[in-house]
Amino acid sequence: MKIRSIFMLVALILVLSAFLAACSGGEKTGSKEENGEKSSESAGQPQDGGTLVYALDSAPEGKFNYSFYGNATDAYVINFFDENLIDYDENLKAKPHIASWKTEDNKVFDFEIKQGVKWQNDDELSVKDWEFALMVVADKDYEGPRFDNVRNIEGAQDYHDGKATEISGIKVVDDYHIQITFDKARVNNLENLWTYPLNRTEFKGMAVKDMMSSKQVRTKPVGLGPFKVTKIVPGESVEMERFDDYFGGKPHIEKVVIKVIDPSLSVGELKNGTLDMTSFHPSIIDQVKALDNVNTITYPGVSYYYVGFKLGNWDGKKNVMDEPKYQEKKLREAMYYAINREEWVKAFFNGVGKPVNRPIPSNHWIAADNKDLEQYEYDPEKAKKLLDEAGYKDVNGDGFREDPKGKKFVINFSHYSTSNPTFESRAKALTQYWEEVGLRSKLTMTDVNLYYEMLEKADKSIEVFFAGWETGADPDPTPLWGSEALWNYPRWVNADSDKLLDEALDISIVGTDSEKRKDLYVKWQKLFMKELPVLPIAELEETMAVSKRVHEVTFDVSGMNRPNEWWIQQ
Amino acid sequence: MLKYAFRRILGMIPMLFLTSIVVFSLAKLMPGDSLSGEIDPRNTDPKYIADMREKLGYNDPLPQQYFHWIGNFVQGDFGKSTRFKIPAAEVIGERIPNTLLLGLSSILITYILAFLMGSYSGRKPYTLGDNIIGGLNYLGLSIPSFVAGVFAIFLFSFTLGWFPSNGSIDIGVTEGTLDYWLSRLHHVFLPAVVLGLLSTASYTQFLRNDIIENSRKDFVRTARAKGTPERKIYNVHILRNSMIPLITFLGFDLVAIISGAIITETIFTYPGLGQLFLDSVGTRDYPVLMTLTMLFSFLTLIGNLVADVFYGIVDPRIRLE
Repeated sequence: MKIRSIFMLVALILVLSAFLAACSGGEKTGSKEENGEKSSESAGQPQDGGTLVYALDSAPEGKFNYSFYGNATDAYVINFFDENLIDYDENLKAKPHIASWKTEDNKVFDFEIKQGVKWQNDDELSVKDWEFALMVVADKDYEGPRFDNVRNIEGAQDYHDGKATEISGIKVVDDYHIQITFDKARVNNLENLWTYPLNRTEFKGMAVKDMMSSKQVRTKPVGLGPFKVTKIVPGESVEMERFDDYFGGKPHIEKVVIKVIDPSLSVGELKNGTLDMTSFHPSIIDQVKALDNVNTITYPGVSYYYVGFKLGNWDGKKNVMDEPKYQEKKLREAMYYAINREEWVKAFFNGVGKPVNRPIPSNHWIAADNKDLEQYEYDPEKAKKLLDEAGYKDVNGDGFREDPKGKKFVINFSHYSTSNPTFESRAKALTQYWEEVGLRSKLTMTDVNLYYEMLEKADKSIEVFFAGWETGADPDPTPLWGSEALWNYPRWVNADSDKLLDEALDISIVGTDSEKRKDLYVKWQKLFMKELPVLPIAELEETMAVSKRVHEVTFDVSGMNRPNEWWIQQ
Repeated sequence: MLKYAFRRILGMIPMLFLTSIVVFSLAKLMPGDSLSGEIDPRNTDPKYIADMREKLGYNDPLPQQYFHWIGNFVQGDFGKSTRFKIPAAEVIGERIPNTLLLGLSSILITYILAFLMGSYSGRKPYTLGDNIIGGLNYLGLSIPSFVAGVFAIFLFSFTLGWFPSNGSIDIGVTEGTLDYWLSRLHHVFLPAVVLGLLSTASYTQFLRNDIIENSRKDFVRTARAKGTPERKIYNVHILRNSMIPLITFLGFDLVAIISGAIITETIFTYPGLGQLFLDSVGTRDYPVLMTLTMLFSFLTLIGNLVADVFYGIVDPRIRLE
């Protein structure tokens, strides 16, 4: 018998805790009354003061600096105390923030930053801080993932390879003006540029390879944002206080506490008023909606899900479309018509997703209008007709269709599995739609790590697969759907698609005119939806719970507004 | 006895060596690696991932990777966490105080409760009190910890508001003050109780059965016949003999204190080694994962040794050569 077997005596907790209750009971009653008062008052003018408690669902890695962070959890924390030099509007177009820019040809950019912007250590922001950040990211010892955002600056690759002592494309004019030259004109140079400065005095004299583990990154970060970090308990919580000299105006909220709270506890914490803000998984949306002290906010996200077909293989450098099984376009169309996306999304996304008709989130500025695209509404009869036309008929009378040569045809569908129990049922539901139109389907669930490794290597055993992407501000779909893209999981190769994608990036064709560029992307989306290398299924909205005592929090596709505008009802 | 202990410690070396091979191969057999989670078309490109794989040596042949790792490991260099980008020893060091506090307090709770209940049941077997304790024990054995943890949080944190439901410390308090330590105890209490009660059932039953068995032995009858007071018979003659089987548990406990409790720590969002271990598996953070596993194996071996040495002290009949 093993001693550590994980069992216990519930009844004894009751007994034991009962006599330890007295020590902390009194304090809590007080804070509950306070909460009651807060919610009874009505909203009015912004009030100063108060502490905001914000929850993260997993422990941050502790790389609290834009130039070094890796995952979204760290980014949530950094967002409170640091600032991007440029901003994005509700269609994910770049707009001036601290920096504004001028360019004639999308090759040479002249940036000007606001004067008098303060770092939290009292330094004034200079473009030299930005230059410093770019030099650090381009350094050969830099281990973060951002060099891609600097590579396109003229001379950055040489600096990275140690062939030059400075980056020739960066010219500091004075403390507020900087000129950045790219190696060639591209339409998306600005969106891809690294626009986060790094404080020079904090990292003075430090070797680049030591920066990532330094205390300036891990426990004593300094930023430009509305709150400054006062204390960090690694892996657990971060405390911040108001930064009075914030360039965007003095914040109203006095203190922010960011805590790691297991997602299973967030509903209870919200209900108790011990938590003010958190993002949460759509599966608990009904419980969150039932709380009367919390607003449930959904806002457009930038992720979408699709069903892909293995059309080819990856030869190490580019995709080759050489798998015959799903080359018949009518088969793919029929499988699309067979899916009732409306019903499926409603059943498995808890009302926070909607069907999507293109491989671009519908809030992105390049997204084509639905009326320009084939809709593929649920139509099982049409699906059956298409399959008949393509020769997929039931010849041996077992109720399922055989392929045009009369051989047994089975759709081998793969879905990734995590601890989320709904994944298997949602995948099963898709296979049932296909079985209803007479296509025999078999579902395989694969562990998520293995799954993406198999997709990346174009493994033979994955034929039809479920996957998703989250896109960013740069609308260019080339890294996902170009014929030389590693992440083009269906291994789809189409010359017209490559041509359109290249043209949309070609400055000599689209110039600086974003309308022209959008037209090309709309054409590309039409082509994509005609060719159907994948079946776009659904896009997901982001979900956020915000306590009713916190005001002026707004969301759009680019995220939250700056926290200095928020205020707490006292 | 010193000679015995020394011999045992020498014997551990090949054991640990074999363990390291198993740990390493199992870790590498897991699908994916520490970079597979990082694929994000917004800010990484396949070239960066390929470069990092090369830099971290994931493309080298496995035996070469193993000897590289074990070579550094015996020199005290446990590698750099791929997730936190700081030395694995530092990551583990950050969590150890939390885990020690949780482990020690839970074991304290187990020992006190098991001792009280076990000696009561053993002294008065087959009475109503004994049956109630037995009943509670088996009820406890049948409730899994994730149910108990969630239930305890719901009742004591959300409904009654006595204890915090997450974390190890209130961030507002200054380190080193009395408030700081009170806050830590306040945070550790609930998980420690849930965890401590887990092992109570088996400890209690072992103690009870041994006391009953010993009380029927000849030396007890002799003591009674001599007119030794009943209290002295139980506290001195029987108790000391009944402790022997419990010593075996002590070895396990030594590991239990350090290894933390994966499920309990996760439910209470308590940043200890158990939670770290689980996260490291999920993110394929090999250096942290392998260091932790080696640490746990080492402590298990040490725990067994300590238990064996203790046998000799408690029971002079067991001779260690």
